[in-house]
Amino acid sequence: MGGRAFYRDPAWREELRRGARSVLPATPGVVAWGLVTGVAMVKSGLAVPWAILISLTVYAGSAQLASLPLIAAGQPFWIVALAGFVTNMRFIIYSASLRRLLETYSLRRRAVLGYFTGDFTFAMFMERANREGEFADRDAWFLGACWFNWLMWQIASIVGIVAATAIPAAWGLQFAGTLALLALAIPACVQWPALSGAAVAAPVAVLARGLPLGLGLIVGIVAGIAAAVLVDAMVARRK
Amino acid sequence: MNIYLLLVTIGMVLATFLTRAALLLVGQRFKLSPRVEAALRFAPVCALAALIAPEIVVRSGTVDLSLANSHLVAAAAAAGVFLWKRSMVGCIVAGLLVLTAFRLGTGG
Repeated sequence: MGGRAFYRDPAWREELRRGARSVLPATPGVVAWGLVTGVAMVKSGLAVPWAILISLTVYAGSAQLASLPLIAAGQPFWIVALAGFVTNMRFIIYSASLRRLLETYSLRRRAVLGYFTGDFTFAMFMERANREGEFADRDAWFLGACWFNWLMWQIASIVGIVAATAIPAAWGLQFAGTLALLALAIPACVQWPALSGAAVAAPVAVLARGLPLGLGLIVGIVAGIAAAVLVDAMVARRK
Repeated sequence: MNIYLLLVTIGMVLATFLTRAALLLVGQRFKLSPRVEAALRFAPVCALAALIAPEIVVRSGTVDLSLANSHLVAAAAAAGVFLWKRSMVGCIVAGLLVLTAFRLGTGG
């Protein structure tokens, strides 16, 4: 860095604070989602220390929920990781947009900012970048937003993990994870290609569930993507 | 030490890091074709559908599409509440209430 450290720069620190404040409106949603994820992890059978370790390091709510039935069924670890990767693929799209705005920063800073990207922090950052272009100290703003979001998520998730041990299994809360994923899937189906993909992926995954190594899930996902891309091309051609 | 869960955790951390940071690290040399980008756009919703469908319709190893399947009825109610209220919390609460009603009704 040379000379004064970047984090001592008052302008940099002000952007860090502004970033953290900008994600405040999303806090109730982040907290609710974190609580559900924490509770569902423990109720699916994960021991508390593992649930906390996974929450702190993986930091991906939908991928964590997606992994639970696979872990409970003892699927191979690479199938679990692959399912997490596919569930997270929206972040590849996000990072394709972030790349232009962050390319002047060091490799290490880009790695940190990338790892901590969340759905809402990405949306807020792009909203400001669309208004102000490549504004100064945008790394600080982004880091502040990501850091605050991470903290709120982890507090809620760990509260959920610890509280879950006191909730009787008979309440059926392990199904809450599936319901949360359902609430994510429905709004993603607003257009024909995505709806077609989901409508193909679901029955194929059910019919192929007996395949070894948990490959039924992968077959379902691939069939769904193929259907969605096909319908997308048909829709594009009609325009 | 549970080696399986350790491998799962490491694999999931890699999934988190690679999806979020890999493109930021390779710089502008690597471009996504429109076709790849379309596939990436639809992958998450397909993964969600493929993950939750068996949890909802497969009971004790067989496909059960009848109204006696509490998971199916609960998911339908949850989806209905989500479409009506646009609330994730409402969706989860509705589904869990239906499950509870089933359990009280059948004693199991």
